[in-house]
Amino acid sequence: MPSCPPETDGDYPWTEEVLPTRLDIIPEAETAVLSALENLGYDEDHWFAVRLALEEALVNAMKHGNRMDPSRTVRMAYRVAPDRVDIRVRDEGQGFNPQGVPDPTTDENLQRPCGRGIMLMRSYMDSVRYSCGGNEVHMVKYRQPRQGGMAP
Amino acid sequence: MKIQTREEGGCQVVAIVGSADVGASAALREALLGAIEGGAKRLVCDLGRTDFICSDALGVMITAYLKARTRGGAVCLAGPQDHLRDVLQTTRLDHLFDVFADVATAVRCCKAPQG
Repeated sequence: MPSCPPETDGDYPWTEEVLPTRLDIIPEAETAVLSALENLGYDEDHWFAVRLALEEALVNAMKHGNRMDPSRTVRMAYRVAPDRVDIRVRDEGQGFNPQGVPDPTTDENLQRPCGRGIMLMRSYMDSVRYSCGGNEVHMVKYRQPRQGGMAP
Repeated sequence: MKIQTREEGGCQVVAIVGSADVGASAALREALLGAIEGGAKRLVCDLGRTDFICSDALGVMITAYLKARTRGGAVCLAGPQDHLRDVLQTTRLDHLFDVFADVATAVRCCKAPQG
């Protein structure tokens, strides 16, 4: 499987980790990313948003992508720069169509216990894009709100 | 995450202390559903010291809400801080749950939904 990100990009290189499909590994993975945010002085709102989106992405990759198959791995790559945080998460599952996920905020879906992960990722990050047939998600959080839509 | 349960004003109060992340969901499920199966009719989730919540934990709270409702009971939320309040608004779960500013108000006002 090709690596998700380029290995370096300017002064802020990508860090890539290959994670086992185990939910108990998620806090450790989050700590690595969140420590990088703290080191660059991101505030609590950014910290919370990135933690939430990363948690949802990793849980989705393990539960729905890899179906908790311990022989499969999740690739997490991140790059924390002063102006933006990039995160990519890729699983080894069949992929999916993110457009096919029902909106969990509608009245008829409000009582469903599942299906809020993607909506939370989209709500708390500035950009969320799926590729590789739905196997990989690339999320971006900017330090400053963007004017006029998403950046590339 | 730690879960602290107590009885207050006829309600079972379940305080979630720390992060309600995916690793905490099993314990949260056990606490909430266990309380309902144990006969609690009015359940208050005290979120005053909850610093994080994920969709998995939200799902557990919804499951508890539905289970309580089938038994004529209620699950209410109390004291969410800014980030949690924002999550509840973003997900529109503040339209499903009664959300109170603090536990005392929740204990006083938590009632089973009509209909």
